[in-house]
Amino acid sequence: MILDALGLSLTVALASTAIVSVLGTLAGWLLARARFRGRDTVDALLNLPLVLPPTVTGYYLIALLGRRGVLGGPLFVATGWSVPFTWVACVLAASVMAFPLMARSARVAFEGIDPRHEIAAASLGHGRLSYLLRVALPIARRGLASGIVLAFARAIGEFGATLMLAGNIPGRTQTLPLAIYDAVLAGADRAALALSALLTLVSVAVMLAAGSLGRKRP
Amino acid sequence: MSGIAVDVTVERRTGPGAPFRLEAAFETEGGITVVFGPSGAGKSTLLLAILGALRPERGRISVAGRVLFDSERGVDLPTRERGLGIVFQDALLFPHLDSRRNAAFGIRGGERRARADECLARVGAAALAERLPPELSGGERQRVALARALAASPAGLLLDEPFSALDAASREELGRLVSGLHRETGIPFVHVTHDLGEALRLGTGLVVMDGGRVVQTGAPSEVLSAPACKAAARAVGFENVFTGTVLRHAPEEGWSEVDLGGTRVETGLLRERPGEGVALGLRASDVILSIARVAGTSARNLIEGTVVGIEARGPVVEVAIATPVRFRAAVTLAAVRALRLEPGCRVWLLVKALAFHPLV
Repeated sequence: MILDALGLSLTVALASTAIVSVLGTLAGWLLARARFRGRDTVDALLNLPLVLPPTVTGYYLIALLGRRGVLGGPLFVATGWSVPFTWVACVLAASVMAFPLMARSARVAFEGIDPRHEIAAASLGHGRLSYLLRVALPIARRGLASGIVLAFARAIGEFGATLMLAGNIPGRTQTLPLAIYDAVLAGADRAALALSALLTLVSVAVMLAAGSLGRKRP
Repeated sequence: MSGIAVDVTVERRTGPGAPFRLEAAFETEGGITVVFGPSGAGKSTLLLAILGALRPERGRISVAGRVLFDSERGVDLPTRERGLGIVFQDALLFPHLDSRRNAAFGIRGGERRARADECLARVGAAALAERLPPELSGGERQRVALARALAASPAGLLLDEPFSALDAASREELGRLVSGLHRETGIPFVHVTHDLGEALRLGTGLVVMDGGRVVQTGAPSEVLSAPACKAAARAVGFENVFTGTVLRHAPEEGWSEVDLGGTRVETGLLRERPGEGVALGLRASDVILSIARVAGTSARNLIEGTVVGIEARGPVVEVAIATPVRFRAAVTLAAVRALRLEPGCRVWLLVKALAFHPLV
């Protein structure tokens, strides 16, 4: 049970961190640069999972992706498959919860870059994409790395939204935090302690690894 | 045509309130065009417009015969197609790349490394190839920035106050480097500065800006010796600017003698060696006029001349005197009346040696 939960937690956390790293970086990039009407509204919406209770976010995810959901309904009709109670649900819930942290870090990191770097890059014949890949991302790497760590921490610790969307099925959707909750409910104190220690260990290890990555020269 | 032709109107919003408005028109025949003026004159805005980082409301920009912007014909090349190099005041190297990679950033095709090293060597930064920007001094960073811009084989080079953060010695050294690079490449340079000495040392053409307008253009010595209007004089900081030749020094007494071109004056001790050129500034209000040949003053210069012009500017009157070199003196209306000054009058000018300010 412990190994199942650990494996699932790592898979879910890594998968959602990967998704969120890409999408959050893009969102941060756009928010840092774009000057469009309603930008603040978009920003607020993206940050909503930070301030809403996770169960509320989870409820919205069910309304969106459930068998009778806005997107989940047609998906179920078309494929006979639905998101809730699968490991995909765990990944989605963790991603939605972690996304604002990544987008915010990325935005701050990109906003900190002197815009004249882009002018210099353009004068040397480089377009926007080349500037993003060769200049902006490397300069922003520390901010992005800290965003990734935050996103991972949020993803591996996710509880409320995951419980709502994915349930708590041992061996299928039961991540470490849910297993800890189960162990405590069942009075299995030693298991709860072991699981908690494990989660702490993983989190600290990831943080240290990412910290040294952020400091290193590319 | 190998020069730069600019005729633009730019409106730039930098904050709340009325936008900054730049109206600039000038043409150069290659060479190093120095754009000179006080802070806020619109010099950097002009550079950004030439570079394509700011879009003018209307106008036309061409460099070396190629039209980069023309509002009437709908031409507006993006920065990366303009083929112009830029060097910023703070160098602004890509901080995560070593000097070699910075220099190679704009090079297309093969042998990038070899060509980057070649460019670094040309600016005297060969030894810095493996260093990151934070490990470089201000002057070294500017050298690498020059290498980076020139490595891309630009059609023109724009320099935005590239030396203003450096000490005087590095400024002169880099000034010589820029002149040398200009001779080697033969492309037009536009060099923005608010340092008059730099303008005189480097410029083959001078564009004086003030308050978002070009107030005067011409050869540097010509512009400086006769600021065409008050704004140009203000930009230069002195109503009188002379170019002359140092004749001799008296270090123990603290003075030098300079020939301004027919009129010899005594100045404070200058750095230039005898025979070298020097530019001197003199405020019109530092010139005392006398209708008699007075003696016994501390003013080291008593220069005889003839009033050739009197122009009232409010309560202040500017008197032009041919000595034969032309001086401008600013006096009050009361002084003009008391001395009965009018064109043709014979006068003596009293000027303290230390009122002449070396400009280079």
